[in-house]
Amino acid sequence: MLEADAEVDRREFTVRASLRLAPGDRLALFGPSGAGKTTLLELIAGLVAPRRARIALGGRLLTSTDKPVTAVPPWQRRVGLLRQDPGLFPHLSVRRNLLYARSAAGRRSELAELADALGIGGLLGAMPARLSGGQQHRVALGRLLLAHCEALLLDEPYTGLDLSLRRGLTELVVSLVDERRIPAILVAHELADAQAFATIMAILDRGELLQFGAPDEVVRRPASRRVAELVGYTAFVPVPGLDGAVAGVHPERMLSGRHPESGLVLTGPVSACRPAGALWEVTVQAGGAGVTGRLAEPAEPGTELTVTAAGPPFFGPDGSALGRAPQGTGLAGEATGRGSAAQAGPR
Amino acid sequence: MAGTGIIWIALLGPVIALATHLSWSAIKSALSAPGAFDPLIVSVESGAITLGVLLLLGTPLAWALARGTLPFPRVWEAGVLASLLLPPLVIGLLLIFMVGPYTFIGQWLAHFNISTTNTFIALVIAEVYESAPYYVLGAQAAFAEVNPRIEQAGALLGDRPVRVFRRVTVPLAAPGLAMALCVAWARAIGAFGAVVIIAYHPTGLPLQIWTTLQETGLPTALPYALVLLVVALPLPLAAYIWSAHARSRRRG
Repeated sequence: MLEADAEVDRREFTVRASLRLAPGDRLALFGPSGAGKTTLLELIAGLVAPRRARIALGGRLLTSTDKPVTAVPPWQRRVGLLRQDPGLFPHLSVRRNLLYARSAAGRRSELAELADALGIGGLLGAMPARLSGGQQHRVALGRLLLAHCEALLLDEPYTGLDLSLRRGLTELVVSLVDERRIPAILVAHELADAQAFATIMAILDRGELLQFGAPDEVVRRPASRRVAELVGYTAFVPVPGLDGAVAGVHPERMLSGRHPESGLVLTGPVSACRPAGALWEVTVQAGGAGVTGRLAEPAEPGTELTVTAAGPPFFGPDGSALGRAPQGTGLAGEATGRGSAAQAGPR
Repeated sequence: MAGTGIIWIALLGPVIALATHLSWSAIKSALSAPGAFDPLIVSVESGAITLGVLLLLGTPLAWALARGTLPFPRVWEAGVLASLLLPPLVIGLLLIFMVGPYTFIGQWLAHFNISTTNTFIALVIAEVYESAPYYVLGAQAAFAEVNPRIEQAGALLGDRPVRVFRRVTVPLAAPGLAMALCVAWARAIGAFGAVVIIAYHPTGLPLQIWTTLQETGLPTALPYALVLLVVALPLPLAAYIWSAHARSRRRG
């Protein structure tokens, strides 16, 4: 069990968080750059001093600003931290890197087993400079696991690696964390990476935890307009008839054509169309805003197009979530480029 | 290419001149005189003690400067630079005012029958002052090259700071530290300016060269110059080769 309840002062804001992770829980901290995600991890690792905190891991009190004041130093915390720079010791071979921790000494059979699981069994004699980025990360991960750390903190470790490598490493971490039943926290700024890892997601912005939830829930039911923006909603269309309320439109949750049973129908002239991977990114002027979505077919700019924003979340004037319009009942709203009234608002 | 070759040869000029002007008979007669090796022994002993002092006192200072843990770091750096920028002769003069027989320190040491002028201790003091900035600045650069994140990784794997320093920081900084130590060694062995003022005795190699030149002329002084080079150069050369090897090994 990892419990953290803390406030850390940063230059522009205070990071406030309250987390509770059971063994085997995998939390993904998602948020923009500079939101305080790394600060939270460094706090748990004992690398930054909090204004107020109580952190406990497996029943051991690591940090407490209440009496008796406790600050267990990083080398006694048994918390593993993996960053984007794997931080291997360049003067030691892969084998000696893996066995660096004193708690790892004498675990030679475990070393062989783990090295095979990580796919680095043939590299034990190599120097770190010889390894590719992915291999270095595998060694760094193995080094933490052999040290038998009791919590694993991953600070955007796979940034800069290509997608298939990132997914492969994420799956590896997930299986090893599951096997060892330790709590793990991943900081990510790619939503899909965070979802691939997490059993729980937390959205952090300017030091505040805005939402906790299942990996799909934070996208389908953002707790506020700010969360919606962070998880990729790019347009907010006024819902006529509901004063000041808006519906969030996510480019990846857009259907071609009129499907009132699935969500909010939007009609308007196409203002732009460009290829986006295997799809087309089409911008439609509807509901007084440029609404962009990724569709399977291109659309000619200037022509009229009808699209449906699937299951959009609705937000009040203060940015808080209002709930969703029920699906399949024909109650979804409709907005057009000419600003006609929506047929129904959210319930 | 040709231009750099000319510059290189010009820089090596003094060494070439030494090689071409030495005769075997001169070396033999100079070094077979009774006590001919005494200055060599004095220089090696004082140089070795100087290196010990630098390692002990200069290393923590260099580490603190590199990690920026000291308040007002610029002031500390300026202090180290000052002893580098002061001409050695001036250092010698000022050392008289600092540790000479009529100063507070000098009088205090006199209680223990220690004199800091014209003694072996005076020689070591002069050599430390002449070589310290070379070691401290070189070691500072060597420590600054060590990525603090790698030291942090060592700490998070269970090593307390002293162990991280021994297992990570020092091995990673070792090539640079070795070079800094060797430059300091060459400066200490060849120290003359401060030495001639506060430690005319016991005579080390540089002073031996100077007095021989004064008393019997250039040809008899040259063999001592050769001895000085033979003592001063191999260590830096070995360190250079070793550090290049260590760096290439680290690159895989």
